[in-house]
Amino acid sequence: MPRMIFLTLPVADIARSRAFYTALGFTINETFSSESSACVVVSDTIFFMLATFEGFRSFSVKPLVLPSEGATSLVALSCDSRAEVDAMTEAAIAAGGRSLHDPEDLGFMYSRAFEDPDGNGFGPMWMDPASAG
Amino acid sequence: MPQMIFVNLPITDVKRSRKFYEALGYKINEQFSDETTACVVVSETIYFMILEQERFKSFLTGPLGDPAKATSAIMALSQDSRAEVDAFAATALAHGGTEVKDATDLGFMYNRSICDPDGNLFEPFWMDPAAVAG
Repeated sequence: MPRMIFLTLPVADIARSRAFYTALGFTINETFSSESSACVVVSDTIFFMLATFEGFRSFSVKPLVLPSEGATSLVALSCDSRAEVDAMTEAAIAAGGRSLHDPEDLGFMYSRAFEDPDGNGFGPMWMDPASAG
Repeated sequence: MPQMIFVNLPITDVKRSRKFYEALGYKINEQFSDETTACVVVSETIYFMILEQERFKSFLTGPLGDPAKATSAIMALSQDSRAEVDAFAATALAHGGTEVKDATDLGFMYNRSICDPDGNLFEPFWMDPAAVAG
């Protein structure tokens, strides 16, 4: 079976976050969702498990730090084109996210940066497949 | 092209972390690595970009958290069997990782909670495919 990753992220309000992530074009797997969690399906190998602060704390013995107060991760997601990078970022901003800085354009790579409503950081990026060789 | 994820994680010593992640069986993509970062290849769609703290900060607009003290993300990684979950944990513990709580065994699901040498929290897990199929 291909390796899967479930990235658990803390959110304040599941309903608000469901609206945000579905606005980005992702679907929710209801089997793995509840009143205090939502499983965002990014692809068949990549999932975000959104958890309320209380739920998140039950998974970690260390204290929860809000991503806006002390980020310990940033999530970069590949996109198939520059236009897709822009579309994801614009959708995020329209749905209550926040752009973090100007687009970075290195020619062979293009990326933007946004936060979800809770401050979880994302960097949609496109890379010229020719440059990866 | 299949969607890829690069989870960026803060570390303190890239040499130490390279050894840790290589011990877990992952390869390093040298093209995307340098003196303060390394690109850990988990699968063709999943990567960890490990970055020394100063470098990590350069990508943040807010404050950097210290994963040794607090957690803002948990990385659960699927394994093909319970034995693989235990092997992941044993290898991590033998190479500077720590186990932060007891294994969780729900019958159809089994997972352990393992930190890398900097405290980044991983949950290797196995889930019965029959349970996933619902």
